[in-house]
Amino acid sequence: MFNGFSHSVMGASHEKTGLVCQDSSAHKVTEHYAIAVVADGHGSKKHFRSNLGSQFAVEATIEAIDRFFEDYDEFISNFPANHKMIIKNIQKQVISNWNNRVNAHLAENPVTADEKSKFTDEEFEKIPPESYYGSTLIAAVAAENFTFGLQIGDGSLVAIFDDGEAVMPMEYNEAAPANVTASICNSNAASMFSGFYVENKKLIAMYASTDGLYTSFGSEYDFLDYHTIITSQLTNVETFKTVIVNNLTKRSRYGTEDDISLSCVFSEELLNENIGLINEKVEENKQRSAERKAERLTKKI
Amino acid sequence: MSNENITEPVINSAESASAAADNFEPAGSAAPNTNAADSLLDFDDDPLSATGVSRKSLVIFFLIDTSGSMKGKKMGELNTVMEELIPEIRRVGEADTEVKVAVLTFSTEVRWMYSAPIPIEEFEWARLRASGVTSLGAAFKELSLRMSRNSYLNSPSLSFAPVIFLMTDGYPSDDYKEGLRELQSNSWYKFGLKAALGIGSEANDNVLAEFTGSADTVVHAYSGSQLAQMIKIIAVTSSQIGSKSMTLSDETGRELAEEDVFAAKQKLLGQQIQELVSNQVEDSDVPFDTGW
Repeated sequence: MFNGFSHSVMGASHEKTGLVCQDSSAHKVTEHYAIAVVADGHGSKKHFRSNLGSQFAVEATIEAIDRFFEDYDEFISNFPANHKMIIKNIQKQVISNWNNRVNAHLAENPVTADEKSKFTDEEFEKIPPESYYGSTLIAAVAAENFTFGLQIGDGSLVAIFDDGEAVMPMEYNEAAPANVTASICNSNAASMFSGFYVENKKLIAMYASTDGLYTSFGSEYDFLDYHTIITSQLTNVETFKTVIVNNLTKRSRYGTEDDISLSCVFSEELLNENIGLINEKVEENKQRSAERKAERLTKKI
Repeated sequence: MSNENITEPVINSAESASAAADNFEPAGSAAPNTNAADSLLDFDDDPLSATGVSRKSLVIFFLIDTSGSMKGKKMGELNTVMEELIPEIRRVGEADTEVKVAVLTFSTEVRWMYSAPIPIEEFEWARLRASGVTSLGAAFKELSLRMSRNSYLNSPSLSFAPVIFLMTDGYPSDDYKEGLRELQSNSWYKFGLKAALGIGSEANDNVLAEFTGSADTVVHAYSGSQLAQMIKIIAVTSSQIGSKSMTLSDETGRELAEEDVFAAKQKLLGQQIQELVSNQVEDSDVPFDTGW
Protein backbone atom coordinates (compact mmCIF):
# COMPACT_ATOMS: atom_id res chain seq x y z
CA MET A 1 0.00 0.00 0.00
CA PHE A 2 1.35 3.41 -0.98
CA ASN A 3 1.17 6.50 1.14
CA GLY A 4 2.57 10.02 0.73
CA PHE A 5 2.67 13.66 1.65
CA SER A 6 3.33 16.95 -0.09
CA HIS A 7 3.89 20.48 1.06
CA SER A 8 4.91 23.92 -0.23
CA VAL A 9 6.27 26.78 1.84
CA MET A 10 6.62 30.33 0.66
CA GLY A 11 10.10 31.86 0.57
CA ALA A 12 10.93 34.79 2.81
CA SER A 13 12.20 36.74 -0.20
CA HIS A 14 8.72 36.53 -1.74
CA GLU A 15 7.17 37.88 1.41
CA LYS A 16 9.49 40.88 1.24
CA THR A 17 8.69 41.61 -2.40
CA GLY A 18 4.97 40.91 -2.04
CA LEU A 19 5.13 38.04 -4.51
CA VAL A 20 2.84 35.10 -3.80
CA CYS A 21 4.26 31.58 -3.55
CA GLN A 22 5.18 30.36 -7.00
CA ASP A 23 5.44 26.68 -6.02
CA SER A 24 2.73 24.03 -6.08
CA SER A 25 2.84 20.43 -4.94
CA ALA A 26 0.53 17.43 -4.82
CA HIS A 27 0.51 13.70 -4.30
CA LYS A 28 -1.95 10.99 -5.06
CA VAL A 29 -2.00 7.37 -3.94
CA THR A 30 -4.13 4.57 -5.34
CA GLU A 31 -4.08 0.85 -4.82
CA HIS A 32 -1.76 0.31 -7.80
CA TYR A 33 0.28 3.44 -8.22
CA ALA A 34 1.29 6.66 -6.53
CA ILE A 35 2.34 10.06 -7.85
CA ALA A 36 4.43 12.80 -6.22
CA VAL A 37 4.58 16.05 -8.12
CA VAL A 38 5.95 19.55 -7.60
CA ALA A 39 6.19 22.62 -9.82
CA ASP A 40 8.00 25.93 -9.46
CA GLY A 41 6.53 28.93 -11.25
CA HIS A 42 9.27 31.11 -12.71
CA GLY A 43 8.12 34.20 -10.84
CA SER A 44 9.96 36.76 -12.94
CA LYS A 45 8.39 39.78 -14.60
CA LYS A 46 7.01 38.23 -17.77
CA HIS A 47 5.78 35.11 -15.94
CA PHE A 48 3.30 37.14 -13.91
CA ARG A 49 0.80 34.31 -13.51
CA SER A 50 3.31 31.55 -12.79
CA ASN A 51 1.82 30.78 -9.38
CA LEU A 52 -1.23 29.54 -11.33
CA GLY A 53 1.01 27.96 -13.95
CA SER A 54 2.65 25.75 -11.32
CA GLN A 55 -0.73 24.75 -9.94
CA PHE A 56 -1.94 23.86 -13.45
CA ALA A 57 1.26 21.85 -13.98
CA VAL A 58 0.67 19.58 -10.98
CA GLU A 59 -3.01 19.15 -11.88
CA ALA A 60 -2.17 18.47 -15.53
CA THR A 61 0.35 15.82 -14.52
CA ILE A 62 -1.96 13.92 -12.21
CA GLU A 63 -4.70 14.03 -14.82
CA ALA A 64 -2.36 12.68 -17.53
CA ILE A 65 -0.96 9.87 -15.41
CA ASP A 66 -4.43 8.87 -14.19
CA ARG A 67 -5.55 8.65 -17.78
CA PHE A 68 -2.66 6.37 -18.76
CA PHE A 69 -3.32 4.10 -15.78
CA GLU A 70 -7.07 4.06 -16.47
CA ASP A 71 -7.04 0.56 -17.90
CA TYR A 72 -4.53 -0.71 -15.37
CA ASP A 73 -4.06 -4.26 -16.69
CA GLU A 74 -3.50 -3.13 -20.23
CA PHE A 75 -1.16 -0.33 -19.17
CA ILE A 76 1.13 -2.55 -17.12
CA SER A 77 1.28 -5.14 -19.85
CA ASN A 78 2.37 -2.54 -22.45
CA PHE A 79 4.43 -0.14 -20.41
CA PRO A 80 7.61 -2.14 -19.66
CA ALA A 81 8.19 -2.97 -23.34
CA ASN A 82 7.34 0.50 -24.63
CA HIS A 83 8.25 2.74 -21.71
CA LYS A 84 10.28 5.25 -23.73
CA MET A 85 7.46 5.92 -26.14
CA ILE A 86 4.79 5.88 -23.45
CA ILE A 87 6.70 8.30 -21.19
CA LYS A 88 7.08 10.61 -24.20
CA ASN A 89 3.33 10.38 -24.72
CA ILE A 90 2.68 11.12 -21.05
CA GLN A 91 4.90 14.21 -21.34
CA LYS A 92 2.96 15.38 -24.40
CA GLN A 93 -0.31 14.77 -22.58
CA VAL A 94 0.91 16.79 -19.60
CA ILE A 95 1.80 19.71 -21.88
CA SER A 96 -1.54 19.47 -23.64
CA ASN A 97 -3.46 19.35 -20.33
CA TRP A 98 -1.45 22.31 -19.03
CA ASN A 99 -2.11 24.37 -22.17
CA ASN A 100 -5.81 23.59 -21.91
CA ARG A 101 -5.88 24.88 -18.35
CA VAL A 102 -3.88 27.98 -19.27
CA ASN A 103 -6.11 28.76 -22.25
CA ALA A 104 -9.28 28.27 -20.22
CA HIS A 105 -7.98 30.48 -17.42
CA LEU A 106 -6.86 33.18 -19.82
CA ALA A 107 -10.21 33.12 -21.62
CA GLU A 108 -12.03 33.63 -18.33
CA ASN A 109 -9.44 36.04 -16.91
CA PRO A 110 -8.00 38.28 -19.62
CA VAL A 111 -4.82 40.15 -18.82
CA THR A 112 -5.66 43.13 -16.64
CA ALA A 113 -4.52 46.71 -17.15
CA ASP A 114 -2.50 46.39 -13.95
CA GLU A 115 -0.68 43.32 -15.25
CA LYS A 116 0.00 45.09 -18.56
CA SER A 117 1.19 48.26 -16.90
CA LYS A 118 4.57 46.70 -16.10
CA PHE A 119 5.44 46.57 -19.81
CA THR A 120 5.55 48.83 -22.84
CA ASP A 121 3.08 47.76 -25.56
CA GLU A 122 5.97 46.56 -27.65
CA GLU A 123 7.42 44.48 -24.80
CA PHE A 124 4.04 42.99 -23.98
CA GLU A 125 3.32 41.96 -27.58
CA LYS A 126 6.52 39.93 -27.62
CA ILE A 127 5.50 37.70 -24.69
CA PRO A 128 3.70 34.52 -25.74
CA PRO A 129 0.54 34.21 -23.57
CA GLU A 130 1.54 30.80 -22.16
CA SER A 131 4.73 32.44 -20.81
CA TYR A 132 2.60 34.37 -18.30
CA TYR A 133 2.12 31.00 -16.59
CA GLY A 134 5.67 29.54 -17.05
CA SER A 135 6.66 26.80 -14.62
CA THR A 136 8.95 23.84 -14.05
CA LEU A 137 7.59 20.39 -13.28
CA ILE A 138 8.98 17.28 -11.58
CA ALA A 139 6.86 14.15 -11.20
CA ALA A 140 7.68 10.78 -9.63
CA VAL A 141 5.46 7.76 -10.29
CA ALA A 142 5.67 4.47 -8.40
CA ALA A 143 3.84 1.29 -9.39
CA GLU A 144 4.24 -2.31 -8.32
CA ASN A 145 6.99 -3.37 -10.73
CA PHE A 146 8.30 -0.13 -12.11
CA THR A 147 9.15 3.41 -11.20
CA PHE A 148 9.43 6.39 -13.51
CA GLY A 149 9.78 10.12 -13.47
CA LEU A 150 9.60 13.15 -15.69
CA GLN A 151 11.00 16.61 -15.32
CA ILE A 152 11.21 19.89 -17.14
CA GLY A 153 13.36 22.67 -15.66
CA ASP A 154 15.14 22.78 -12.30
CA GLY A 155 14.31 20.58 -9.34
CA SER A 156 15.30 17.21 -7.97
CA LEU A 157 14.02 13.70 -7.80
CA VAL A 158 15.40 11.30 -5.20
CA ALA A 159 14.57 7.60 -4.95
CA ILE A 160 15.38 5.05 -2.27
CA PHE A 161 15.13 1.46 -3.44
CA ASP A 162 15.44 -1.59 -1.19
CA ASP A 163 19.24 -1.34 -1.04
CA GLY A 164 18.63 1.73 1.16
CA GLU A 165 20.78 4.12 -0.92
CA ALA A 166 19.35 7.54 -1.78
CA VAL A 167 19.92 8.14 -5.49
CA MET A 168 18.98 10.71 -8.13
CA PRO A 169 17.81 8.51 -11.00
CA MET A 170 16.83 11.23 -13.47
CA GLU A 171 18.67 10.94 -16.76
CA TYR A 172 19.08 14.53 -17.78
CA ASN A 173 18.25 15.50 -21.31
CA GLU A 174 21.55 16.60 -22.76
CA ALA A 175 19.78 17.94 -25.83
CA ALA A 176 18.03 20.64 -23.80
CA PRO A 177 20.04 23.85 -24.27
CA ALA A 178 22.03 24.65 -21.13
CA ASN A 179 21.57 28.41 -21.28
CA VAL A 180 17.78 28.33 -21.56
CA THR A 181 15.59 27.64 -18.54
CA ALA A 182 13.49 24.68 -19.58
CA SER A 183 9.85 25.39 -18.96
CA ILE A 184 6.51 23.81 -19.61
CA CYS A 185 5.60 27.05 -21.39
CA ASN A 186 8.30 26.66 -24.07
CA SER A 187 6.98 26.04 -27.56
CA ASN A 188 9.37 23.07 -27.77
CA ALA A 189 8.62 21.87 -24.22
CA ALA A 190 8.13 18.26 -25.36
CA SER A 191 11.76 18.07 -26.46
CA MET A 192 13.04 19.57 -23.20
CA PHE A 193 11.75 16.92 -20.81
CA SER A 194 14.11 14.62 -18.96
CA GLY A 195 12.97 11.26 -17.66
CA PHE A 196 13.88 7.90 -16.18
CA TYR A 197 12.44 4.43 -15.95
CA VAL A 198 13.46 1.63 -13.55
CA GLU A 199 12.00 -1.84 -13.68
CA ASN A 200 11.96 -4.73 -11.19
CA LYS A 201 13.53 -2.79 -8.36
CA LYS A 202 11.56 -2.46 -5.17
CA LEU A 203 11.01 1.19 -4.33
CA ILE A 204 10.76 2.20 -0.69
CA ALA A 205 10.25 5.94 -1.18
CA MET A 206 10.56 8.61 -3.84
CA TYR A 207 10.65 12.38 -3.55
CA ALA A 208 10.19 15.30 -5.94
CA SER A 209 11.35 18.73 -4.81
CA THR A 210 11.71 22.23 -6.24
CA ASP A 211 15.18 23.76 -6.36
CA GLY A 212 14.60 25.82 -3.21
CA LEU A 213 15.19 22.60 -1.26
CA TYR A 214 18.41 21.61 -3.06
CA THR A 215 19.89 25.07 -2.75
CA SER A 216 19.36 25.05 1.02
CA PHE A 217 22.13 22.45 1.35
CA GLY A 218 25.87 22.89 1.52
CA SER A 219 26.60 19.62 -0.26
CA GLU A 220 24.89 17.01 -2.39
CA TYR A 221 25.77 14.40 0.25
CA ASP A 222 23.74 16.33 2.81
CA PHE A 223 20.87 16.64 0.35
CA LEU A 224 20.74 12.87 -0.21
CA ASP A 225 21.22 12.09 3.50
CA TYR A 226 18.27 14.36 4.26
CA HIS A 227 16.02 12.10 2.18
CA THR A 228 17.28 9.00 3.99
CA ILE A 229 16.45 10.62 7.33
CA ILE A 230 12.97 11.53 6.08
CA THR A 231 12.45 7.93 4.97
CA SER A 232 13.42 6.70 8.45
CA GLN A 233 10.60 8.84 9.87
CA LEU A 234 7.83 7.70 7.54
CA THR A 235 6.73 4.78 9.72
CA ASN A 236 4.87 7.43 11.67
CA VAL A 237 3.94 9.66 8.77
CA GLU A 238 1.09 11.54 10.43
CA THR A 239 3.35 12.82 13.22
CA PHE A 240 6.14 13.46 10.74
CA LYS A 241 3.98 15.75 8.60
CA THR A 242 4.30 18.50 11.22
CA VAL A 243 8.05 17.96 11.51
CA ILE A 244 8.58 18.25 7.75
CA VAL A 245 6.53 21.44 7.46
CA ASN A 246 8.61 23.01 10.24
CA ASN A 247 11.82 21.86 8.66
CA LEU A 248 10.95 23.11 5.18
CA THR A 249 9.96 26.42 6.73
CA LYS A 250 13.32 26.63 8.47
CA ARG A 251 15.18 25.69 5.30
CA SER A 252 13.37 28.34 3.33
CA ARG A 253 13.80 31.00 5.94
CA TYR A 254 17.49 30.47 6.68
CA GLY A 255 18.53 28.97 3.37
CA THR A 256 18.13 30.90 0.14
CA GLU A 257 14.72 32.36 1.09
CA ASP A 258 13.13 30.67 -1.92
CA ASP A 259 9.84 28.77 -2.03
CA ILE A 260 10.32 25.09 -1.23
CA SER A 261 8.10 22.19 -2.21
CA LEU A 262 8.55 18.55 -1.35
CA SER A 263 6.28 15.73 -2.40
CA CYS A 264 6.76 12.10 -1.43
CA VAL A 265 5.25 8.71 -2.14
CA PHE A 266 6.32 5.55 -0.37
CA SER A 267 5.44 1.91 0.03
CA GLU A 268 4.32 1.28 3.61
CA GLU A 269 4.95 -2.43 3.28
CA LEU A 270 8.49 -2.13 1.95
CA LEU A 271 9.31 0.61 4.42
CA ASN A 272 8.26 -1.57 7.36
CA GLU A 273 10.27 -4.48 5.97
CA ASN A 274 13.36 -2.32 5.50
CA ILE A 275 13.19 0.16 8.36
CA GLY A 276 16.17 -1.50 10.06
CA LEU A 277 18.26 -1.02 6.92
CA ILE A 278 17.17 2.62 6.56
CA ASN A 279 18.07 3.35 10.18
CA GLU A 280 21.48 1.76 9.62
CA LYS A 281 21.96 4.00 6.57
CA VAL A 282 21.10 7.08 8.61
CA GLU A 283 23.82 6.18 11.12
CA GLU A 284 26.28 5.28 8.36
CA ASN A 285 25.63 8.62 6.65
CA LYS A 286 26.26 10.51 9.89
CA GLN A 287 29.57 8.72 10.28
CA ARG A 288 30.59 9.43 6.68
CA SER A 289 29.59 13.06 7.01
CA ALA A 290 31.80 13.41 10.11
CA GLU A 291 34.69 11.77 8.23
CA ARG A 292 34.26 14.12 5.27
CA LYS A 293 34.25 17.11 7.59
CA ALA A 294 37.41 15.94 9.38
CA GLU A 295 39.14 15.48 6.02
CA ARG A 296 38.01 18.92 4.85
CA LEU A 297 39.42 20.57 7.98
CA THR A 298 42.81 18.90 7.67
CA LYS A 299 45.49 21.44 6.76
CA LYS A 300 47.45 20.53 3.67
CA ILE A 301 50.32 22.89 4.36
CA MET B 1 -8.46 0.61 -12.45
CA SER B 2 -9.32 0.12 -8.84
CA ASN B 3 -10.77 3.14 -7.16
CA GLU B 4 -10.18 1.86 -3.69
CA ASN B 5 -8.09 3.89 -1.31
CA ILE B 6 -7.66 6.80 -3.62
CA THR B 7 -6.57 9.97 -1.95
CA GLU B 8 -7.65 12.91 -3.97
CA PRO B 9 -4.69 15.03 -4.98
CA VAL B 10 -3.88 17.53 -2.32
CA ILE B 11 -2.94 20.76 -4.03
CA ASN B 12 -1.05 22.54 -1.36
CA SER B 13 -1.48 26.19 -0.95
CA ALA B 14 1.60 28.05 0.12
CA GLU B 15 2.16 28.51 3.75
CA SER B 16 3.78 31.69 4.83
CA ALA B 17 7.19 30.84 6.17
CA SER B 18 7.06 33.56 8.75
CA ALA B 19 3.53 32.76 9.79
CA ALA B 20 4.58 29.22 10.50
CA ALA B 21 7.79 30.33 12.11
CA ASP B 22 6.00 32.78 14.34
CA ASN B 23 4.39 29.89 16.14
CA PHE B 24 7.74 28.79 17.41
CA GLU B 25 9.28 29.75 20.65
CA PRO B 26 12.53 31.51 19.86
CA ALA B 27 15.57 30.01 21.54
CA GLY B 28 16.80 33.43 22.53
CA SER B 29 16.69 37.05 21.57
CA ALA B 30 19.99 36.98 19.67
CA ALA B 31 20.21 38.57 16.25
CA PRO B 32 19.74 36.09 13.43
CA ASN B 33 23.38 35.24 12.96
CA THR B 34 24.53 31.76 11.96
CA ASN B 35 23.89 29.77 15.09
CA ALA B 36 21.08 31.73 16.61
CA ALA B 37 19.18 31.66 13.33
CA ASP B 38 19.35 27.93 13.11
CA SER B 39 18.38 27.44 16.69
CA LEU B 40 15.18 29.45 16.28
CA LEU B 41 13.51 26.59 14.52
CA ASP B 42 15.51 23.71 15.92
CA PHE B 43 13.79 21.19 18.06
CA ASP B 44 15.39 18.50 20.12
CA ASP B 45 13.07 16.06 18.45
CA ASP B 46 13.73 17.25 14.87
CA PRO B 47 15.65 14.39 13.31
CA LEU B 48 16.19 16.49 10.18
CA SER B 49 18.42 18.99 11.97
CA ALA B 50 21.31 16.55 11.33
CA THR B 51 21.71 18.13 7.90
CA GLY B 52 22.41 21.84 8.23
CA VAL B 53 20.84 24.73 6.37
CA SER B 54 23.19 26.50 3.99
CA ARG B 55 22.93 30.19 3.21
CA LYS B 56 24.13 32.00 0.14
CA SER B 57 27.90 31.78 0.26
CA LEU B 58 30.83 34.03 -0.57
CA VAL B 59 34.23 32.42 -1.13
CA ILE B 60 37.30 34.58 -0.57
CA PHE B 61 40.28 33.21 -2.47
CA PHE B 62 43.66 34.39 -1.16
CA LEU B 63 46.54 33.88 -3.61
CA ILE B 64 49.70 34.25 -1.59
CA ASP B 65 53.27 34.46 -2.81
CA THR B 66 55.46 32.18 -0.67
CA SER B 67 58.60 32.49 -2.80
CA GLY B 68 62.03 32.91 -1.18
CA SER B 69 61.94 36.71 -1.42
CA MET B 70 59.03 36.74 1.05
CA LYS B 71 61.23 35.17 3.71
CA GLY B 72 61.74 36.99 7.01
CA LYS B 73 59.77 40.07 7.99
CA LYS B 74 57.29 39.97 5.09
CA MET B 75 56.19 36.39 5.71
CA GLY B 76 56.24 36.86 9.47
CA GLU B 77 53.97 39.92 9.22
CA LEU B 78 51.70 38.26 6.70
CA ASN B 79 51.20 35.23 8.95
CA THR B 80 50.40 37.45 11.91
CA VAL B 81 48.01 39.67 9.96
CA MET B 82 46.17 36.73 8.45
CA GLU B 83 45.73 35.11 11.86
CA GLU B 84 44.23 38.35 13.16
CA LEU B 85 42.18 38.94 10.05
CA ILE B 86 40.13 35.74 10.13
CA PRO B 87 38.10 36.72 13.23
CA GLU B 88 37.56 40.17 11.70
CA ILE B 89 36.17 38.77 8.46
CA ARG B 90 33.81 36.56 10.48
CA ARG B 91 32.03 39.71 11.55
CA VAL B 92 32.00 41.24 8.08
CA GLY B 93 29.64 39.06 6.07
CA GLU B 94 25.99 39.97 6.18
CA ALA B 95 24.09 37.75 8.60
CA ASP B 96 22.54 35.76 5.80
CA THR B 97 25.85 35.11 4.00
CA GLU B 98 28.12 32.18 4.64
CA VAL B 99 31.71 33.33 4.15
CA LYS B 100 34.25 30.68 3.16
CA VAL B 101 37.99 31.01 2.74
CA ALA B 102 40.38 29.24 0.36
CA VAL B 103 44.12 29.93 0.39
CA LEU B 104 46.38 29.10 -2.55
CA THR B 105 50.10 29.56 -2.04
CA PHE B 106 52.56 29.77 -4.89
CA SER B 107 56.33 29.50 -4.98
CA THR B 108 58.13 26.78 -6.95
CA GLU B 109 54.93 24.77 -6.48
CA VAL B 110 51.31 25.79 -5.97
CA ARG B 111 49.56 24.43 -2.88
CA TRP B 112 46.16 24.89 -1.24
CA MET B 113 46.03 25.33 2.50
CA TYR B 114 42.92 23.09 2.67
CA SER B 115 41.39 20.73 0.13
CA ALA B 116 38.23 22.88 -0.18
CA PRO B 117 36.95 26.32 0.85
CA ILE B 118 36.41 26.31 4.62
CA PRO B 119 33.57 28.16 6.41
CA ILE B 120 35.17 31.12 8.15
CA GLU B 121 33.95 29.93 11.55
CA GLU B 122 35.99 26.75 11.14
CA PHE B 123 39.00 28.24 9.39
CA GLU B 124 42.37 28.18 11.11
CA TRP B 125 45.38 29.83 9.57
CA ALA B 126 48.37 27.55 8.94
CA ARG B 127 51.58 29.57 9.25
CA LEU B 128 53.32 29.77 5.90
CA ARG B 129 57.04 29.47 5.12
CA ALA B 130 58.79 31.04 2.17
CA SER B 131 61.17 29.45 -0.33
CA GLY B 132 61.58 28.92 -4.07
CA VAL B 133 60.55 30.93 -7.15
CA THR B 134 57.35 32.84 -8.04
CA SER B 135 55.09 30.58 -10.16
CA LEU B 136 52.23 33.05 -10.54
CA GLY B 137 51.12 31.65 -13.92
CA ALA B 138 50.80 28.18 -12.40
CA ALA B 139 48.76 29.68 -9.55
CA PHE B 140 46.38 31.35 -12.03
CA LYS B 141 45.91 28.03 -13.82
CA GLU B 142 45.29 26.15 -10.57
CA LEU B 143 42.81 28.77 -9.44
CA SER B 144 40.97 28.58 -12.74
CA LEU B 145 40.77 24.80 -12.47
CA ARG B 146 39.30 24.91 -8.96
CA MET B 147 36.93 27.84 -9.47
CA SER B 148 34.31 25.59 -10.98
CA ARG B 149 30.93 24.07 -10.13
CA ASN B 150 32.66 20.70 -10.49
CA SER B 151 35.34 21.56 -7.97
CA TYR B 152 35.66 24.10 -5.16
CA LEU B 153 32.37 25.84 -5.96
CA ASN B 154 30.21 22.70 -5.98
CA SER B 155 27.93 23.58 -3.09
CA PRO B 156 24.24 23.30 -4.09
CA SER B 157 23.55 26.53 -2.22
CA LEU B 158 23.75 29.75 -4.19
CA SER B 159 27.02 31.65 -4.37
CA PHE B 160 27.98 35.25 -4.70
CA ALA B 161 30.75 35.82 -7.23
CA PRO B 162 33.98 35.16 -5.34
CA VAL B 163 36.53 37.63 -4.00
CA ILE B 164 40.04 36.96 -5.34
CA PHE B 165 42.86 38.65 -3.46
CA LEU B 166 46.44 38.36 -4.75
CA MET B 167 49.49 39.21 -2.62
CA THR B 168 52.98 39.11 -4.06
CA ASP B 169 56.34 40.81 -3.64
CA GLY B 170 58.03 40.22 -6.96
CA TYR B 171 57.91 39.58 -10.66
CA PRO B 172 56.56 36.19 -11.78
CA SER B 173 59.23 33.66 -12.70
CA ASP B 174 56.97 31.73 -15.08
CA ASP B 175 54.75 32.67 -18.04
CA TYR B 176 52.05 34.38 -15.98
CA LYS B 177 50.34 35.72 -19.12
CA GLU B 178 49.40 32.25 -20.30
CA GLY B 179 48.00 31.41 -16.85
CA LEU B 180 46.13 34.71 -16.74
CA ARG B 181 44.57 34.09 -20.16
CA GLU B 182 43.23 30.78 -18.87
CA LEU B 183 41.91 32.44 -15.72
CA GLN B 184 40.32 35.27 -17.70
CA SER B 185 38.15 32.76 -19.56
CA ASN B 186 36.71 31.50 -16.24
CA SER B 187 33.26 33.02 -15.55
CA TRP B 188 33.81 33.09 -11.78
CA TYR B 189 36.92 35.22 -12.39
CA LYS B 190 35.04 37.46 -14.83
CA PHE B 191 32.28 38.17 -12.32
CA GLY B 192 34.47 37.99 -9.21
CA LEU B 193 35.88 40.93 -7.27
CA LYS B 194 39.62 41.16 -7.84
CA ALA B 195 42.16 43.07 -5.74
CA ALA B 196 45.93 42.87 -5.39
CA LEU B 197 48.57 43.91 -2.91
CA GLY B 198 52.17 44.49 -3.92
CA ILE B 199 54.53 43.90 -1.01
CA GLY B 200 57.76 45.94 -1.06
CA SER B 201 59.16 47.91 -3.97
CA GLU B 202 59.88 44.96 -6.26
CA ALA B 203 56.22 44.09 -6.84
CA ASN B 204 55.14 45.01 -10.35
CA ASP B 205 52.03 47.20 -10.54
CA ASN B 206 51.38 46.40 -14.18
CA VAL B 207 51.23 42.68 -13.55
CA LEU B 208 48.91 43.22 -10.61
CA ALA B 209 46.64 45.55 -12.59
CA GLU B 210 46.50 43.01 -15.40
CA PHE B 211 45.18 40.54 -12.86
CA THR B 212 42.60 42.84 -11.26
CA GLY B 213 41.61 44.57 -14.50
CA SER B 214 42.17 48.10 -13.11
CA ALA B 215 44.85 50.10 -11.30
CA ASP B 216 42.57 51.32 -8.52
CA THR B 217 42.20 47.83 -7.05
CA VAL B 218 45.99 47.52 -6.69
CA VAL B 219 47.70 48.82 -3.54
CA HIS B 220 51.18 48.66 -2.07
CA ALA B 221 52.66 47.99 1.33
CA TYR B 222 56.23 48.99 2.03
CA SER B 223 56.38 48.10 5.72
CA GLY B 224 54.93 45.67 8.22
CA SER B 225 52.34 48.07 9.57
CA GLN B 226 51.25 49.03 6.04
CA LEU B 227 50.95 45.36 5.15
CA ALA B 228 48.59 44.83 8.07
CA GLN B 229 46.53 47.91 7.12
CA MET B 230 46.31 47.06 3.42
CA ILE B 231 45.40 43.41 3.89
CA LYS B 232 42.63 44.39 6.28
CA ILE B 233 41.34 47.17 4.02
CA ILE B 234 41.18 44.93 0.96
CA ALA B 235 39.86 41.79 2.66
CA VAL B 236 37.18 43.56 4.68
CA THR B 237 36.03 45.93 1.91
CA SER B 238 35.89 43.24 -0.76
CA SER B 239 33.97 40.85 1.54
CA GLN B 240 31.48 43.59 2.35
CA ILE B 241 30.91 44.46 -1.28
CA GLY B 242 31.06 40.84 -2.42
CA SER B 243 28.31 39.74 -0.06
CA LYS B 244 25.99 42.60 -0.95
CA SER B 245 23.02 41.85 -3.16
CA MET B 246 23.07 44.84 -5.49
CA THR B 247 20.02 46.02 -7.32
CA LEU B 248 19.52 44.50 -10.72
CA SER B 249 17.62 47.40 -12.17
CA ASP B 250 18.37 51.04 -12.81
CA GLU B 251 16.20 54.01 -11.88
CA THR B 252 13.95 53.54 -14.90
CA GLY B 253 13.17 49.98 -13.80
CA ARG B 254 15.12 48.53 -16.71
CA GLU B 255 16.83 45.32 -15.67
CA LEU B 256 20.61 45.56 -15.73
CA ALA B 257 22.66 42.79 -17.24
CA GLU B 258 24.59 40.68 -14.74
CA GLU B 259 27.82 41.96 -16.26
CA ASP B 260 26.84 45.53 -15.40
CA VAL B 261 26.13 44.62 -11.78
CA PHE B 262 29.51 42.94 -11.37
CA ALA B 263 31.30 45.79 -13.15
CA ALA B 264 29.58 48.20 -10.75
CA LYS B 265 30.75 46.13 -7.76
CA GLN B 266 34.35 46.05 -9.03
CA LYS B 267 34.26 49.82 -9.58
CA LEU B 268 32.88 50.39 -6.10
CA LEU B 269 35.66 48.21 -4.66
CA GLY B 270 38.29 50.32 -6.43
CA GLN B 271 36.75 53.56 -5.15
CA GLN B 272 36.46 52.35 -1.56
CA ILE B 273 39.97 50.90 -1.48
CA GLN B 274 41.48 54.14 -2.81
CA GLU B 275 39.47 56.21 -0.35
CA LEU B 276 40.51 54.06 2.61
CA VAL B 277 44.14 53.93 1.52
CA SER B 278 44.33 57.72 1.18
CA ASN B 279 43.01 58.06 4.74
CA GLN B 280 45.80 55.99 6.23
CA VAL B 281 48.16 57.82 8.54
CA GLU B 282 51.80 58.31 7.61
CA ASP B 283 53.88 55.29 8.36
CA SER B 284 56.94 55.51 10.58
CA ASP B 285 57.64 51.79 10.46
CA VAL B 286 60.87 50.41 8.98
CA PRO B 287 60.37 49.65 5.28
CA PHE B 288 60.65 46.02 4.11
CA ASP B 289 63.34 46.99 1.64
CA THR B 290 65.67 48.48 4.25
CA GLY B 291 68.64 46.18 4.45
CA TRP B 292 67.37 43.96 1.61
